[in-house]
Amino acid sequence: MKLNYMKGRFKLGLLLSFILLLLTGCWSSKEIEDLGLIVGTSLDLETDTNSREESEEQEARNSNKELITITNQFVTSETTGSGPKEGKKQQAYKNVSETGDAVLPTLRNMILKNDKRAFAEHSKVIVIGEDFASTFNLKQTMDFFLRELEMRPSALLLIAKNHASNILESNEPSKIPAFQLVEMMKGHKKTTKIIPPMTFAKLEGKLYSEASFLLQSVVSENDEIKFVGAAVIEGKTKKLRGFLTGKELEGITWITGKGKGGLVTSFYEETDQPIIYEIISTKSKIIPHVDGENISFNVKIESEGRIAEHWVLSEKTFDNKFLKKAEKATEKEVERLVKNVLDKIQHEYQTDVSGFGTRLRIEYPKVWEKVKKDWDQIFSGVPIQCEVNITIKDYGTSGE
Amino acid sequence: MMMNSQDKITPSQAVVILVNYILATGILTLPRTSVEKVKTPDVWISVFLGGIIAIIASLIIVKLSQKFPEKTFYQYSQDIVGKWIGCFLSLLIIVYFFTISAFEVRIMAEVTSLFLLEGTPTWAIILPFMWIGLYLISSGINGIARLFEIIFPITFVLFLLVAFLSLGIFEIDNLRPVLGLGVMPVLKGVKTATLAFLGPEIMLLLVAFMKKSEKTKAVKVVLVGLTIPLIFYVITVVMVIGALSVKGVVTRTWPTLELMRSFEIPGLIFERFESFLLVIWIMQIFATFTITYFAAALGLAQLFKKNIQPFIFGLLPLIYIISMTPKNINDLFKFGNMIGNTALFLFGVLPIILLIILRLKGGKT
Amino acid sequence: MWGKILSYIPEWKVFMQGFIVFFIPYIIFKLFNGIVSKQKTHEDEMKEINDQTNQKVELEHQKSSQGSYDHYTGDFNLDVELVKNEIGHNWDVHVREFHIGNTDIRAAIIFLDGLSDKELIDKHILASLMGNVLKKDEQESIYEKGVFLQTFIKNEVLSVSDITEEYDVKQSVGKILLGATALIIDGIPNVLMLGTVKGKSRNFEEPVSEALVRGPRLGFTETLSDNTALLRQHGENSDLSIINFQVGKRTKKELVIAYIQEIADPNLIEEVKKRIQSITIDDVAESGYVEQLIEDNYLSPFTQVQNTERPDRVFAALMEGRVAILLDGTPFALIVPVTFSMLLQSPEDYYERWLPSTLIRLLRYLAAAITLFAPSLYISFVSFHQGLIPTKLALSMMGTREGVPFPAIIEALIMEVAIEILREAGLRLPKPIGPTMGIVGGLVIGEAAVQAGIVSPIMVIVVALTAISSFAIPQYNAGISLRMLRFVAMFFAALFGLYGVILFFLLLCSHLVKLKSFGIPYVSPTVPYRASDWKDFMVRMPLMMMKRRPKMLHTKDSSRQD
Repeated sequence: MKLNYMKGRFKLGLLLSFILLLLTGCWSSKEIEDLGLIVGTSLDLETDTNSREESEEQEARNSNKELITITNQFVTSETTGSGPKEGKKQQAYKNVSETGDAVLPTLRNMILKNDKRAFAEHSKVIVIGEDFASTFNLKQTMDFFLRELEMRPSALLLIAKNHASNILESNEPSKIPAFQLVEMMKGHKKTTKIIPPMTFAKLEGKLYSEASFLLQSVVSENDEIKFVGAAVIEGKTKKLRGFLTGKELEGITWITGKGKGGLVTSFYEETDQPIIYEIISTKSKIIPHVDGENISFNVKIESEGRIAEHWVLSEKTFDNKFLKKAEKATEKEVERLVKNVLDKIQHEYQTDVSGFGTRLRIEYPKVWEKVKKDWDQIFSGVPIQCEVNITIKDYGTSGE
Repeated sequence: MMMNSQDKITPSQAVVILVNYILATGILTLPRTSVEKVKTPDVWISVFLGGIIAIIASLIIVKLSQKFPEKTFYQYSQDIVGKWIGCFLSLLIIVYFFTISAFEVRIMAEVTSLFLLEGTPTWAIILPFMWIGLYLISSGINGIARLFEIIFPITFVLFLLVAFLSLGIFEIDNLRPVLGLGVMPVLKGVKTATLAFLGPEIMLLLVAFMKKSEKTKAVKVVLVGLTIPLIFYVITVVMVIGALSVKGVVTRTWPTLELMRSFEIPGLIFERFESFLLVIWIMQIFATFTITYFAAALGLAQLFKKNIQPFIFGLLPLIYIISMTPKNINDLFKFGNMIGNTALFLFGVLPIILLIILRLKGGKT
Repeated sequence: MWGKILSYIPEWKVFMQGFIVFFIPYIIFKLFNGIVSKQKTHEDEMKEINDQTNQKVELEHQKSSQGSYDHYTGDFNLDVELVKNEIGHNWDVHVREFHIGNTDIRAAIIFLDGLSDKELIDKHILASLMGNVLKKDEQESIYEKGVFLQTFIKNEVLSVSDITEEYDVKQSVGKILLGATALIIDGIPNVLMLGTVKGKSRNFEEPVSEALVRGPRLGFTETLSDNTALLRQHGENSDLSIINFQVGKRTKKELVIAYIQEIADPNLIEEVKKRIQSITIDDVAESGYVEQLIEDNYLSPFTQVQNTERPDRVFAALMEGRVAILLDGTPFALIVPVTFSMLLQSPEDYYERWLPSTLIRLLRYLAAAITLFAPSLYISFVSFHQGLIPTKLALSMMGTREGVPFPAIIEALIMEVAIEILREAGLRLPKPIGPTMGIVGGLVIGEAAVQAGIVSPIMVIVVALTAISSFAIPQYNAGISLRMLRFVAMFFAALFGLYGVILFFLLLCSHLVKLKSFGIPYVSPTVPYRASDWKDFMVRMPLMMMKRRPKMLHTKDSSRQD
C-alpha cells in the first residue's frame, strides 16, 4: 500500500516535470512589439554605380549582372507607439533599402540594418520601378513574393514611373505612404482612370497564362503620389511594354465595362462648351465572331448616367432635345476614347489587355486553343467594331 | 469488445460522423488536384460526378452491411469468406484505417506548421493532437458521435461564412466556358474527385451501431451524409477557381487557404478570415483522425476478441511512426494518392465481390 | 528498390517519439486508474472500520441495556439523577423542580436553554402544572392511582399539542438536546416529552446569491421544514413526493429528496436514493458535501449538481422531471441531473417575454465564450499570429505594447491573477468595504500598471471584459469552473497559439461529451440533436410552443400543456 503510494507519487512527479518541460518550449512565439511590420515594398533596378561597388563587395561573383534595390517600408512599435510624447513629430514609418542580386538575399541583408524582426503579413503594396519592370521577367522576380508564406495574396502590385522608392516617401511624416496607396486604390469606383486593383491572387493566374494585362501606374511628383494611367505588361515576356495615359485607360475601362463611376467630358456641337456626363452604370459586351480563320469583334457599350455639369448657356436640361444631343456628344466622345486606345494597344503595343481573348475563350473555346499561343500577334490584326449607347437618366436638381 | 446498449447511435449521428469523416484534407487540396487533371474550369462537374460515384459505392457498402445488421465488417467478413480470408480482409482494412489516420495527422501538422506555428517541431504539434484523440475515443462511439455533433454546426456555419465572404473577388469569367472543350477533360478528373469522398467505408461498421429499428434508414444516412460534403466541395471548388482562375489554382499548394488570404474586408472586425478556415479544418481533421483511429482499434479488438483499451494505446506509436515516414510534402501527397487507390479497390470492388459471393452462397442453401 | 524502402525508415528519434507518444498517456491513464482504485480501497477500508464500530456500538448497547439504568424507574430522585448523569454537566441544560399544584407530588422539567420555547414552558406548562390542578377532595384518590395521574395530566392539565411518553433514558435525552422538554413526575415510570422545540430560524429573505429583477423574492432558509413548506406552498399538488433520509454517521441530519411522482423517471429516483444512501461521512456540514459525494466525476472541472436558493427554480426543475435534494441546515437545495445549458439559464428567462429572454440567453453564451477564450485568443494573436489580425489593430497593439517587458502570457497571467485576487478579496470583505475595494483595486491597479508600462492597455481591456463576462453567468459555481479553465486555455495558447486554443476546445468538448450527470449526458440537449429540446436551449421559444418536457429526462408524462 505504502509502496504503491510512493509509486503513484513518483509517476505524478514525472508527469509534472514533463509538463514543465513543455512550458519551456514556446517554439514559435514572437511578441508583436518585436516585429517590424513591412507595409510596402519597392523594387528598383540599381543604376547608381556607387552603391553598386558597395554591394559588389558582398556579392563579387555576380558583378556583371543587374542588381536590384529593394526598399521596405517598416512600421514598428517605435514609429506608431506613444514614443517620445513631446518634441518633434515623429515619422510614422521607416524605409530601409538594400541592394543585391535576388530578392530574398537582399531582404535578408536588411537584418543587418534592422533591430526588428521583419514581418510581411501586413504587406499591403508592392511597387515596381519602370526600369525594373522592363528589364526583368515578372514571373521570375515575383516568384519569391508568390512563394513566401508571409506575403499575403491580397497585396497590391503597382508600377512606378521613374523610381519606385520615391513612391514610398511622403512629405507628411504622420502618414504611411503604403496605406495611402491602398486607400487611393479604392477610388476606382469613382473614376474610370483607375483600374480595378490587381492583387497577387489575381496576378498569379495572369503570370501563369499567356495573357497580357494592365497594372496601375503611379508617379511621385513633388513629393505627391499620383495615379497616372496604367502599365501594359506583355503576356509572353512578362515585361513592361509601355504605359497608357489616363485618357487611354478610360477607353479600356469602357471596353471592359468595369467602370462603376466616372466622368466623360464632351463638347456641345454648336457652342463647343463642355458637358460633363457622370456614369451611373456601364455594361459592355464584347462579341467575338469567328468565320473560318477570320476573327473579328463587336464591342457594344451601354451606359446610363446623368448630366453632372454643363456650361451650355443656351440650352436647358428640361429639354429632351438637348439631352439627346448631349447623349450623342457623349457617345461620340466615348467612341473616340475607345478607338484611340484600341489603336494604341493593337498597333503600338500589340497586346490584348482589355479582355478580348477571354471572351473568345468563353465563346469559342476550340478556336481559342488554336490561337492562344500567339494571341497578342493575332489580336493586333483583328478588326474591332464599336457601338456606344448612352442614356441620360437625370440631371440633378437643376433643370437649367 | 462487448457492445452494450449504450453504444447505439441515432441516424442523425451517423450522418454527422459520415460528413465529418469525408470532409478533411480535400477541402484544402481538392481544387488543385482536380484542376491538375481537368485543366478546364469544369472541375465542379467532375466533383459532382465523383460524389455520385461515391454515393453508388457507399450504397453497395450499406447493402452489404444490412445483410448482417448486428455485426461489423470485421465480424461478418469471416462469415462470408471463411475465417482466414475474412481475417486477412479485416486486417487489410484495419491497416487502411490507421494509415489514413496517420496521413491526416501528418497533413494537419504540415499545414499547421506552415500557416500557424512556424518553427514548432512536428512532433510537438502531433503529440497533443493524438493524445486528445486518444482521450476522446476511449469514450467509445457514443462520445465520438457527440463530439462530431458539436463540431459539425460550427464547421457548417463558419464554412458558409468564409465561402460567401470570398464572393468579393469572385469572377464568373474564370468559370466559363462550361464544357468548352467537351466532356473528356471532365472525365479525367472524376477519379481524383472521387478520392476526395473517401469515408463511406465507415458504414461497414456504423450500421452495426445503429438502433435496430433504424437500420433501414442507413440508405438515407448515406444519401444525406454524402450530399452535404458534395455541396461543400462544389462550393469550395467554384469559389476557389472563380477567384484564382484555373491557371492560378494549379500552382498553389493549398489553394483554398490561398483564397482566404486573398481578400481582406476591413471593418468586419477580423478583416482576415483564413483563421476561420484553419479552425474548422483542424477540427475536421481531428474528426477524421479519431474515427479512423477508432475504426482500426475496434477492428483489432473484434478480431482478437479482446477489450479495446490496449489496442487504442498500442496503435498510438504505430500511427505516429507511419505519419512521420513521408520525407517531404510531395511524398506526403503521393502517400495520400496511394491510400486513395487502395481505397478504390477495398471499398469500390471488394463489397461487390462479397455481395456476389453472398448471393451465390444464398443460392446454394 | 530495397534501398528506397530503407530510406523511408525513419530515424531513431522518430521511434523514440513514438514511444513517448504511447508512454505518457499510458502513465496518465494508469495514474488516474490508480487514484480511482486507491479511493475505492480506501472506501472499502472505511466500510470495514464502520462495520466494526457499528458492531462495537451494538455490543455496548446490548451490555448497557442489560443494566437497570436504561429505563426510568418511577423513583423521582433516581430518574432525575439518571438524566443528569447523561447530560447534567452541560451548562445549557436546566432542571427545574417543583410540586404539582396543591399537592406535594414532586416533579421536574428538564429543558435546553435556547432551543426550547421558554414562553411556552412558563405560560402553559409550569403555570398549568403549578396552578390549581386538583381539588382538595380529589387529591387522595389520584395520588394513589399513579398511572391515572399521568393520563390526567396529559388529558386535562397540559395545554401542549405535542406530547409523547418516553421510557428510554437515551432517547429522551436525545430529544431534550433538540429542544423538547422532559417532564418527570414522582411515581410515574416514564417521562412526558413535551414538544417545546423552538428552532432557531431566520425570516424568509430574498436569496442573496441569485438576484432577479422579476420573480418571487423568496429564498430557502436553514430550516428544512420551512423549505419543504415553501415547496408545498407553491401550489396544490398531491404528486409532490418528499422522501426523507438521515445522513451523517456521527451527527445525524435530515435530508429530503423531492420529486413529482407522476413526472420523474423512476430510474432516476432510484439512482438518487442509492447515491444518497451510500454517503458514509460522519458529518454532512452543507449541501456542498452532498453534492461532492454524489456527483458522477469528481475529477471534472464542471459542476454536475446545480445548487439554488430559489424555491421557484427548484419547482421548475421538478416540473421538468428532475429531483431536488434538500438538507437541513442550509438554504442551498440541490437539483439533479444537470446539463451544461442549465448553468447558463436563469428563472427570469421564463418570467420575461420570450424575445428578450432569448437575446439575453444568447448574450450569456457569448459571455461564457468570452470568459473562456478571450485571454487565450489575445495571447495567441499577440504572440503567434500577428498576421491574422487587422492591420490597423496590429499597429495599435504594437504601439500599446511598446515597452512592456513581459511576453503576452506573463502579462495576461499577472492581470488575470490580480483580478481573481480582487474578486476574492471583495467577496470576503465586510459589505460596506467590498465595493470600494473593487473600484480601488480595479481602477487604480489597472491604471497604474498601464502607466508603469507593466501591461498594455489592451490587456487591461481584455481582462476587464473577461471578468465582467464571467459575472454574467447566472450560476456562480459554473462561472468559477469557466474561470478556472480559462487559465488552462491560456497555457495552451502560450504553447501553441491558435492551434493550442483549438486543441483546448477539442479537449474540453471531448471531456464534456464523456461527462454524465445521473445518466444524462452533460452536453444535452446540444447533442444528440433533438429539435424539440432546442426550444429551450440557446433560445427560449414562446411558452405556447414549449408543450413538452425535455425528452432527455425520459419523463413519465411528457406533455406540459394541451
